Amino acid sequence: MEYKKIELKKGINFHIIKTDRFKTNLLAIFLTTKLDRKTVTKNALIPSVLRRGSKNMMTQEQISKELEEMYGAGFDCGVDKTGDNQVLKFYIETINDNYLPQKNENMLKTSLDKLLEIVFNPLTENNSFIKEYVEQEKNNLKNIIEAKIDNKSRYALDRCIEEMYKYEPYGLYKFGNVEDLKEIDEKNLYEYYKELVSNCKIDIFLSGNIENNIVDEINENENIKLLKEREPIYEFSKLENKKTDKEKIIAESMEVTQGKLVIGLNINIEDEKQKYDALMYNMILGGSATSKMFQNIREKEHLAYVASSMYIRHKNNIFMNCGIEIDNYEKTVELAKKQLEDMKKGDFTEEEIENAKKGIIASIKGIEDEQDTILTYYFGQELTKNKVTLEEYKEIIEKITKDRILEIAKNIEVDTIYFLKN
Amino acid sequence: MKIIENSKVKEKAYIEKLENGLTIVLIPKKGTHKKYIIWGTNYGSIDSEFIVPGEKEITKVPMGIAHFLEHKMFEQPDGTNSLDTLTALGVEANAYTTNDHTAYLFEATDNFYEAMTELMDYVQHPYFTDENVEKEKGIIGQEINMYEDSPEWRVYLNAMKAMYHNNPVKIDIAGTIESISKINKETLYKCYNTFYNPSNMVLVICGDFKSHDMLEEINKRLVETKSKGKIKRIYPKEPDDIVQEKIEQKLEVSQPLYVIGIKDKNNNCEKEIVKKHIAIEIILYLLMGKSSKLYKELYNQGIIYERPSLDYEFSKNYAHIMISGQATEPEIIYEKMKSEIENMKNNGIDKKDVVRIKKMIYGNYVKEYNDVGDIARMFLSDYFKGINSFDYLEEIEAINVEYLSQVLEDVFKEDKMVISIVKN
Repeated sequence: MEYKKIELKKGINFHIIKTDRFKTNLLAIFLTTKLDRKTVTKNALIPSVLRRGSKNMMTQEQISKELEEMYGAGFDCGVDKTGDNQVLKFYIETINDNYLPQKNENMLKTSLDKLLEIVFNPLTENNSFIKEYVEQEKNNLKNIIEAKIDNKSRYALDRCIEEMYKYEPYGLYKFGNVEDLKEIDEKNLYEYYKELVSNCKIDIFLSGNIENNIVDEINENENIKLLKEREPIYEFSKLENKKTDKEKIIAESMEVTQGKLVIGLNINIEDEKQKYDALMYNMILGGSATSKMFQNIREKEHLAYVASSMYIRHKNNIFMNCGIEIDNYEKTVELAKKQLEDMKKGDFTEEEIENAKKGIIASIKGIEDEQDTILTYYFGQELTKNKVTLEEYKEIIEKITKDRILEIAKNIEVDTIYFLKN
Repeated sequence: MKIIENSKVKEKAYIEKLENGLTIVLIPKKGTHKKYIIWGTNYGSIDSEFIVPGEKEITKVPMGIAHFLEHKMFEQPDGTNSLDTLTALGVEANAYTTNDHTAYLFEATDNFYEAMTELMDYVQHPYFTDENVEKEKGIIGQEINMYEDSPEWRVYLNAMKAMYHNNPVKIDIAGTIESISKINKETLYKCYNTFYNPSNMVLVICGDFKSHDMLEEINKRLVETKSKGKIKRIYPKEPDDIVQEKIEQKLEVSQPLYVIGIKDKNNNCEKEIVKKHIAIEIILYLLMGKSSKLYKELYNQGIIYERPSLDYEFSKNYAHIMISGQATEPEIIYEKMKSEIENMKNNGIDKKDVVRIKKMIYGNYVKEYNDVGDIARMFLSDYFKGINSFDYLEEIEAINVEYLSQVLEDVFKEDKMVISIVKN
């Protein structure tokens, strides 16, 4: 695998990941902008309006037919929250020319042109998006925002994050708010779209078995030529001071059979590099089947089927998750807190540390075997000032000691306990 | 070893059947870091009545036992748990149970052979005690409750209940809290001894290795066992007709979830099953794919806002189509779908559309060969259905409008359709 980053214009990067491991080429465009209460819903709406039609492929039906003709080129788009950024994502996945029944088709160039066309050359009339498209997609987005309650475990996690980051950008839901929709129309959305594509950070990723002239091809693309250089506005991931005086306890009711418990933790550290130690800490706490949570909450006490934790690097928080009998709430919270105390006391062995390292290193080694994970990794690098190669990443993990994990354990505090019950 | 090859995706599979009856499928894939191993037994949630080879009496076991057994296989006599041992080696280990098979697996970048020793050891050595069986009831109870809260799972299972009178495919894979309460170590051993015989199992490995070396590594780790006689499985007789056309459940959801099912006759994995499967996929895309007339109409009316998933599920004793998703008014989709099927039958299938959809499906099949895990799981589950996975890439070319029209007539029948809805 070979990675190269080329600056097409200031603020617009082309990332080439050359690999012959896949039957497919994966192409992605990420538009990154600051998460903001004022624009969060508009940003969420834009990808779905863009996929409705472009200047040269005016309807969804036409786009779908052309993609089907390209041996089922997979098109996907959506919106994500990465740290304090909102990222609009567009993907196209095509079969590598080597695996096509006919050899003369240049699928890569076609898909590059099509994706750039969808993102940067939308169908408009009178300096607005198409009214019909915008109205329909507003309605669809409303359904999507409201669908938040459907997956109860995910909902509990989202609610815990919202409570922890009340009045802060990270507390926003990535799909925005229903109440904003009535203010949005085809005109102001198009105005905002123009502003967004002129100021956002643009990353174009291409992974696959790629020929060398692809950079010339992208530079010759009309839609790229029309983009101006920019000083992109986005947030690097950083450490913030998120100390709390008192843990918050929130319980909410819904029709559920099983209670969903989420405990949000702050990690009060000074040095950005300690994030690797925090990753290790999380692995021991609840990151695997040998972790403290899995062993003690699930295997020993049989309180849960799911008992795990995850580390969100961009915000430096850990979230503990358990699905439990509602009556076992107090017992489980107490047991979860005991795991944190035990970690603080240094009650974890060198063997547990080694196991955690092996687990993390295996996942680093596996990155190159998954086409979309490679993109996600390099995109993550774009949003951090401490850039590391995959090799360096492994070495850093290898060197982590018990003392450094203890340093994390000592600086962990419970911020919010969220419980979804009936 | 028998070699099967596919020139379109440029992959090869080596197949070996050992004397003890175990089938081994090896798919070497050069240049990957990950290796993936999966060992499956042709034993799933639907196998709860059977005659043990050599016995005369029918054995009946509680629902959910195959899944319970899967959980318990990790337990070791020295008090350790194989899932922990594998995790400690830095490999991603797991297991799962479906309607027709149970599988144990891991994915590794390092320590593959050490982990393989552990995996092959625990699958060949069950260890159940009264105590460790009791303990699992609490954990699985929470797993069952988790599925109770999943609207997707509820709407799916209800569709099964609407289609099937007796076939156990309509029962939760994990069973119920009541049914699992009856499980004890004796029944677990009985099921293990019946279904975990090598002749009922398939081992698949995909990754960067030489097939002959790998075969030797497997042989080293196999315990000597004799191939047993055929297990006689008893399934209740299932009528061709459906149970009820509509089924509804209330759950707190934002918009209704739906599954439209079409019950197919039990095709018992007939010879043409791959061809039939592809034909059904093509018809489903023509009916409800993103470029279809119906999709466009429903989307513009705001009834659907995502493409429904389109599936044909089948095993050796059931087969059905499922169209599922979330929509504001699923009943309208259901009615329009019926009339669209009629239209297609009356007006014929457009050849131009077929050519395009075939190209798309070809591409979708090629994409399945990117990941070692996807490849291994696909070969395993296809094997239990009597299918060589490569056939999908080969059969697609031969499918024409005439064949599609015939499948459309045979399978897409109005009196075999059901709709399951979960809403507020």
